[in-house]
Amino acid sequence: MELNYRGRCWKFGDNVGVDGDMMPFEFALQRETRLDVLAPYAMTGLDPDFPQKVRSHDIVVGGKRFAQGNPHIQGLLGLAAHNVGLVCESIPRGSLRNALNAGLPLLPACPGITQRVESGDELEVDFRSGRVRNLTQNWEQTFDPLPAALLDIILAGGWQPALKRRVEEMLARGAAQPT
Amino acid sequence: MPQTITEKILSRVIGRAVTPGEIIYPEPDLITTHDWYVVNFDSALQALGVDRLYAPEKLLISTDHEPVAVSRQAAERQHAVRAIVRKYGIEHFYDVGRGGHGHIFPMELGYVAPGMLVLAYDPHVTNYGAAGCLGVSLVVEISEVLACGSAWIRVPDTVRVNLQGTLQPGVTVRDVAQRMIVDLGSDLVDYTVVEFGGPALAAIDVDRRMTLCNTPVEIGAKSSLFETDQITEAWLKPRIGDRFEHIRSDPGANYKAAIDYGLGLIEPQVAAPPTPDNVVGVSTVAGTKVDYAFIGSCANSSLADLRDAARILRGRKVSAGVRLIVTPGTQQIAAEAAAEGLVKVFIDAGAVLTAPGCGPCAGGRIGPLAPGEVSINTGTRNDPGRLGPRDADIYLASPLTVAASAVMGRISDPREFVH
Repeated sequence: MELNYRGRCWKFGDNVGVDGDMMPFEFALQRETRLDVLAPYAMTGLDPDFPQKVRSHDIVVGGKRFAQGNPHIQGLLGLAAHNVGLVCESIPRGSLRNALNAGLPLLPACPGITQRVESGDELEVDFRSGRVRNLTQNWEQTFDPLPAALLDIILAGGWQPALKRRVEEMLARGAAQPT
Repeated sequence: MPQTITEKILSRVIGRAVTPGEIIYPEPDLITTHDWYVVNFDSALQALGVDRLYAPEKLLISTDHEPVAVSRQAAERQHAVRAIVRKYGIEHFYDVGRGGHGHIFPMELGYVAPGMLVLAYDPHVTNYGAAGCLGVSLVVEISEVLACGSAWIRVPDTVRVNLQGTLQPGVTVRDVAQRMIVDLGSDLVDYTVVEFGGPALAAIDVDRRMTLCNTPVEIGAKSSLFETDQITEAWLKPRIGDRFEHIRSDPGANYKAAIDYGLGLIEPQVAAPPTPDNVVGVSTVAGTKVDYAFIGSCANSSLADLRDAARILRGRKVSAGVRLIVTPGTQQIAAEAAAEGLVKVFIDAGAVLTAPGCGPCAGGRIGPLAPGEVSINTGTRNDPGRLGPRDADIYLASPLTVAASAVMGRISDPREFVH
């Protein structure tokens, strides 16, 4: 899986809520995790047409405390279902874990980024190096990328595939001893 | 290199000095989960082809979210949990009537010692910080710890809070805890461990330290803990004996911020709907009619909290049309409350007691609200739906303020009762 995305910017502000803004709360209560069920509702609390307009490898840009609220994974799965990348000023720790669990490539700490992009800008983001290029406004800036150990989880496709691989390696080594 | 308490704990666990920001896979000293995440972890392990736990002796399970099953579904779940406990050979299983709230009784029973790392399913495991222990919630990823022994965490920065000053009459540590998360703010606290110290510690007992450790997680803290002192030692020594060792940050340890925080708030604080950090002075919401009051939850169900409530309820009646539910945190607290006469005070006042555990705060499965009703309680969160229906307002406050409001039938300043 390559981690260089080029696409259009979808800019949202500060305090985007994981429940309600990013995904109807009902799906969290139902513990719904099927991507095909969640995809038509991604970000519809803020932009009802987002699921129709967004394209693979577009970049969602969020402000501070993106995906705030009780750490439900559904809003992050909704983004992952559209195969977009996420760049935000900050993200609470529960939602960071959920973004990784969903296999969503992200740059979690990009202070000031919402001041430097507009929706519709052409962006290119290398999630491995942290480099963001705004091809419309003609600038580039490098932010802290995820540590390598967390990029591995995204490369594996999310937490469950990563865990499956870890368990298989462990069982192959005979690491789990009978108790 | 001088280290914070958190850096010391994580360095000890992984066997080398850690650096804030790095990703590590630590093997915890203890793992906890509750009755609502046992069937789930079992399914997760089955899907992975894992048929035994990496370290079953480290796992503690408590039936606290729904101790007395109130539906057929709950009864069947409890039945399934007991079978899973037998299947994996889990020794530390505290079923209904045995322990109580899993964020409290393990401290009473000596499971928690200063310097330990505990990984948990539930976010409020941070309570163990009252004993100088680092408790971190991983939610569903606790399945990875159960299967493989560890899961990733990022070594956090620490925000040091030096508590100073003294509490005013009618103002409790809960009021301070609610106000403090607003004053610190999520931008500062996110991802960090909040470490408490300072001259006011001498006046804050272990029960109330749990309340302070319970709250920062609401604004994104990874955990919270206290440095140990004579109070911790006096409380823990009878429980853990020689395993007690003091833990404090080194002089010159690197903090993200060090803040002096005064306890001398002049007014009790109430968290209004819809979030725990929507905090106002009680005078702002005083007079709001309430239907339902509750004293309990992992934030406020200690003996100290029940004594606070009893100060106001003794010799008084809960207002007509208000129901007051009291949930002692643990079996031990319930027994002590009975021995001290607190239970009689509550019953004479017209309150009901529930089984030790989370009480209604666990999603309102026990004692929910009706749509349109208003509650004031000492629970941990007030998101819409926390006590059942989404269109019911929840105010969070101290045991004193909740008891005063239950007596008056409207949100009331407890200073009218406590002098």
